[in-house]
This record gives sequence, structure tokens and C-alpha cells, in this order.
Amino acid sequence: MARSKDLDTVAPDDLIISEEKIDEKVVVKKNITPKKEAAKNESNIGDKIYNVLGHTKHSLSSILVKPDVFTFEERAEKESIYLVARPHWFTNVSWVLTTLLLVVAPGLLKFVPIITEIPVKFQFLGILAWYLVSFAFAFEKFLSWYFDVFIITDERVIDIDFNNLLDKKFSEAKISMIQDITSRVSGVSQTMFNYGTVFIQTAAEVPEITLEKVANPEKIIKVLQILREEEERETLEGRVK
Amino acid sequence: MFADLYNYLNIAEKIFAILGTLIYLIFALVVVKQVGTMSKNVNDKFNGILILFSYIHLAMAVFLVFLAWTIL
Repeated sequence: MARSKDLDTVAPDDLIISEEKIDEKVVVKKNITPKKEAAKNESNIGDKIYNVLGHTKHSLSSILVKPDVFTFEERAEKESIYLVARPHWFTNVSWVLTTLLLVVAPGLLKFVPIITEIPVKFQFLGILAWYLVSFAFAFEKFLSWYFDVFIITDERVIDIDFNNLLDKKFSEAKISMIQDITSRVSGVSQTMFNYGTVFIQTAAEVPEITLEKVANPEKIIKVLQILREEEERETLEGRVK
Repeated sequence: MFADLYNYLNIAEKIFAILGTLIYLIFALVVVKQVGTMSKNVNDKFNGILILFSYIHLAMAVFLVFLAWTIL
């Protein structure tokens, strides 16, 4: 007996559905997905980040989770910011103490006998200049802390550094380009207050992004892990923003 | 002769003070410019206050030059 070549026509395994019906289903699905699914994903990631870091939104906080006001110049139109990190507050203690000493110092000069020999107008000008320089010192230190930010958005990680008033550094890498993340907590103060340096190795033009003295390094690594997983899922599902 | 020397010293002190305060004024201008640039790059709630402080600092630097010019 001649054997049938097309076995599916003799004993079909799968349910045969007409092509028209399949097309309808695809059309209906396409109408629902893009916006709603994107919003749902975003809120899911937001919730996950809240679970890791909690709700911190004060502008002077070391870590801001999904900030309302914060933005930056290079931000894309629909780019959402998940996290903004500044150096830990404890890094400010040294310059705050120095500023206090600078403020108190002119009062201590009264006990130096030579000072009384200097004319009053010179003393007045000198003290005014001293306080102005003290203010400038504290202001510069505060600015260096306030504008030294690390930003995690839904698409990339950005590091903006203002080392002093005349030095600005901007580096970014796409989340999909992140290859390896390591952290280092060393020294007494870093161990006590849980802050340290996070090194992000990337396949982008900038080979490494370093976040210095950032609070809760392990939590930042966790947030980056969540975003990397999400990015991988997006790539697998073919969702491109 | 000592009176002349004293006068020369006074003039030298005044010149040094004015030069010093003028250099500080340039620094204050740089601070204003930089705070403006930083605020443009990174925008947050306190940016307005920081810009205000930078201008107060500049005003004080101008006042210092004025004082060095007049009272010394």
C-alpha cells in the first residue's frame, strides 16, 4: 500500500483556524498593547524601585526616587527618571566643620596682641574679606556636592560631575550596554554609614562610570539589575521605545 | 623722610587691597556664571536659591572693592 506523504491531511494534530480569524485577533491585540503596556511596565519598575529604596523625594536627599521636579539638560522628551543619587551626606561633614572654624576664627584673633596694632579700617576690610572667602569656600563645596549627580533613567545611566567651579564632566551609557557592576565600601566612615563607590563597566565609549561615595551602593546595584532585566525582556519581546 | 615712607606704604597697601578685591570680584563673576551653567544642566528645587546666593556673593565682592577704594 502506498504511504501518504502528507500525514496532516490524513490525521491532523492541530486545530485548523481560518486565516481571517487569526488576523482579527492580531489586530485587536495590537490596538490594546503599546501605550497601556508601556505605562504598566513603567509603574511596575517604579514599584520595584520603591520597594528597594523607599520613597525619598526631598531635594537635598542623597537619593531621590522618581523625583517630580528634578530634570537635566540632556534629557530626552519621554525619558523618565527613576533614580538620582548624590554623594552621601556624611561626605559634607568635613567642609561644614572647616567652615565653622573659619567663621569662629576672627573672634579668636582678639587674643593675638599684634592685631591691635593694625589700623581699624584694615581690620574691618580684612574681616569682611575673610567672611566672604569663608562663604565662597562653603558655597563651592555645597555646589560640588549638589551638582555631582548620578541619574538612572529608563534608558541610560548618566554621571554629571562638577569637581570644582571650572570642571564639568558628563558621561552616559545605555542600560543595555552595562556589562559588569562592582561596588567597594572601605574605611571606617563608609562602613558605618553604608556608602561607597560603584564601578559600572560598559561596552559604550565610556568604558567605566564611577559613582563615588554614593549611599547604599548595594541598593543601587539592585536597581540597575532590575532595569537590566527589564531591558533584556524588552529586547526579547521586541518592544523598542 | 619717615612721613614720606609712611605715605608710600599707605599707597602700596591701598593698591594691593584694590588689586586683591578686583581679583576676588572676577572670581565672584565666575561663580555666578558657573552656577548659571550648572543650574541649566541640572535643574532642581533649590537652583533659584543658589543663583540668588551667587548674586549676593557678587554684590558683596563689588562692595569690598568699593570699600578698599574709599576707606583705605
